Amino acid sequence: MKYGKLILKNILRNKRRTLLTISSLVVSLFLIITLATILTELSRGSESSNPLRLVSRHAVSLGFTLPVSLQQRMATVPGVKAVIPFSWFGGIYIDEKNFFANFAVDAARLRDVLTELKMSEPEWQAFINDRQGAIVGAKLVKLYHFQIGQHITLRSPIYDRSVEFIVRGVCTGGDEKTLFFHHEYINELVPAWAKDQVSTFSILANSAADVPRISQDIDSLFVNTDAPTKTESERDFAISFETMMGGVKQFMYGIIAAITFSLLLIMANTMAMNVRERTREVGLLKALGFTRGTIAALFIGESLLVTGIGALLGIFGALLIFKSVDLSLYIPNFQSFVPSAQTLLAAFVISVGVGLFSVIYSAYRVSGMTIAAALGSTE
Amino acid sequence: MPLPLKYNFRNVIVRKSSSFATAFTIGLTVGVFLMVMALARGIDLTLSSSGEPMNVIVLREGSSAELNSTVTKEQLNDLIYLDGVARENDQPLAAAETLTLIYKPRKGMTQGSNVTIRGIGPMSNKLRSGYKTVEGRMFQPGMTEAIVSKRIAERFQGLQLGDKFRIQTTDYTVVGLFEAGGKAFESEIWVDVNSLASTTKRDTYSSVLLRAKDDAALASLSKRITDDQRLHLKALPERTFYEEQQGAASGFLKAMAVFIAFIMAVGAGFAGMNTMYASVARRTKEIGTLRVLGFKRHSILIAFVLESLVIALIGVVIGVLLTLPLNFVSTGTANFQNFSEIAFNFRVTPDLILMAAIFGLAIGFLGSLLPSIRAARFKIVDALRAA
Repeated sequence: MKYGKLILKNILRNKRRTLLTISSLVVSLFLIITLATILTELSRGSESSNPLRLVSRHAVSLGFTLPVSLQQRMATVPGVKAVIPFSWFGGIYIDEKNFFANFAVDAARLRDVLTELKMSEPEWQAFINDRQGAIVGAKLVKLYHFQIGQHITLRSPIYDRSVEFIVRGVCTGGDEKTLFFHHEYINELVPAWAKDQVSTFSILANSAADVPRISQDIDSLFVNTDAPTKTESERDFAISFETMMGGVKQFMYGIIAAITFSLLLIMANTMAMNVRERTREVGLLKALGFTRGTIAALFIGESLLVTGIGALLGIFGALLIFKSVDLSLYIPNFQSFVPSAQTLLAAFVISVGVGLFSVIYSAYRVSGMTIAAALGSTE
Repeated sequence: MPLPLKYNFRNVIVRKSSSFATAFTIGLTVGVFLMVMALARGIDLTLSSSGEPMNVIVLREGSSAELNSTVTKEQLNDLIYLDGVARENDQPLAAAETLTLIYKPRKGMTQGSNVTIRGIGPMSNKLRSGYKTVEGRMFQPGMTEAIVSKRIAERFQGLQLGDKFRIQTTDYTVVGLFEAGGKAFESEIWVDVNSLASTTKRDTYSSVLLRAKDDAALASLSKRITDDQRLHLKALPERTFYEEQQGAASGFLKAMAVFIAFIMAVGAGFAGMNTMYASVARRTKEIGTLRVLGFKRHSILIAFVLESLVIALIGVVIGVLLTLPLNFVSTGTANFQNFSEIAFNFRVTPDLILMAAIFGLAIGFLGSLLPSIRAARFKIVDALRAA
């Protein structure tokens, strides 16, 4: 630490270079943190799934619907606490750009199954007692300024219907860009082929240990019928959506790797220039009796200090930006857009790694020069 | 009088590690930009090549995709005898088709994606070009047989030649693998439309494809069907139909490419500035000498800008070389219009390469501007006196 002051002086020697290098580090780290946060959110569905919940859909695909009557038989399976219809309506609010999820559910039992939904008791009662009622997530209120009592019309291209709902409550928890309404209400309005049909059932189990057996029991009830089911844990159901995206995640890891590598090059270039320009000084230090280790450590310390400052600025900058602007409002299915602790830690580790690896070769080479050679450098 | 270009090249080579590090940084930036754009381009080209120029596609009024469209048998009868529909051997060139989805795990994974199953009629292949059976044979009409696109068979489990898959209570056997000239249909499974109707107990179709007999008929057919109040259908040229899907599938990727590339470019630009400032500082005396020899300030400025452009150009070459092999890589993702897999190739096209080159050179140019101005502003005496 006694050389701390010397390292600091060295950094300030070429202020412009240090500033440009740190700026490079900061923007690159910001990008890495942003991409890593997107990666986190892409697997949010499976990571934060409720271990007690299952989803049942038609065995062939979500392109087929199931009769709502299956609900009663599913409820008789031992270990099942509650079953509700959970139907994707695909309703569009005014314009296709205003995309948000909307589901037809059993209003009375929604909160029993989606335990993460929070809303005041009067709002729940108002919703349950109004067949035309709907509840909206808090983020939808931020985006579209929905108010209690407001009439909202959603047009569904799937069902070829425009349906009007009345907002009866604002809920928090889960994906707060979701709207829920009564399956019973919509059931009277949809075309004949969709009557008494649902796209999925959401099922709550008594215990997590029951989940695999429940999934088998339910599916065996309907195998070889016109409506065979595929029942899986909510986690697996979420993963089935995540894998639809294909190689997107690997692709993003590839981009992060490319950015990290370019960071390494930027830093290595800066340190190589610093080392080269100070070759004669190294000769002087050696003549004064500085050991090879100390000289190498001075350069390594300098590199680590620069990357450390860059890391802190990048990390806090990203935190500041994402805390003040909630990008999840604008990205479908993203529940939040705040870098996780792991992401920030990873960004810091990457910075330290870059700081270390970028300087090792230069420091090793210059510190190993003889006094005469170093002093005789033409730089 | 400008400085000879050789001067620039020599200077880039003298500090080769520094020049190369900077060039590689620019190369990575250009490469990432190209890679994401090539992905978006792959989706776009797959979709835009899918529509046949003389085809009209008919969907239910208000539906956004084939998957949520319905056309009844009565409507079909009204459509095929419309004036303007081309005929072959007195048969209207029209095909009613049905779309549905099947969820299949990807190769080597337990989960996967939805694959489109298209029920096709006897006329379907006359209305589409590029179809080719590459293994096995075509399905027989009326049988529960299926043909699978080769790309889909390569990417998903249980869809190889001889495999069976189940729709409702009926098992379909894969009897052939096909290619479709890189079009969106290479993401599909094809079965007989009537067999699919009886399997799914649906008596409606998803869409109807019509061949217009000439250019005038192409427009008039679309208008005639869309405007007919009784039909409740909408018709549009098949080309337009697929072109409209492009933005939805690739728009996000293009935005990503620009966002990532812009931020990486800032990083690379700063690195380039560092390199150029060092280059200027190291050559202060040399610059003074050049000025004494009679080279003007703007010649010095241009020399340093050119030097940076040479480095950027090397970067562009690196970036392009890194991404060119992607042209042979096939991939797939979800097309949320149809809620199913779309398989396609990365496409690093000449115009994308040009765009990337301009982008890379712009980084080099902007990064060199301030250092070069600095070099041009040196006073001769000060420059010569420098250590």
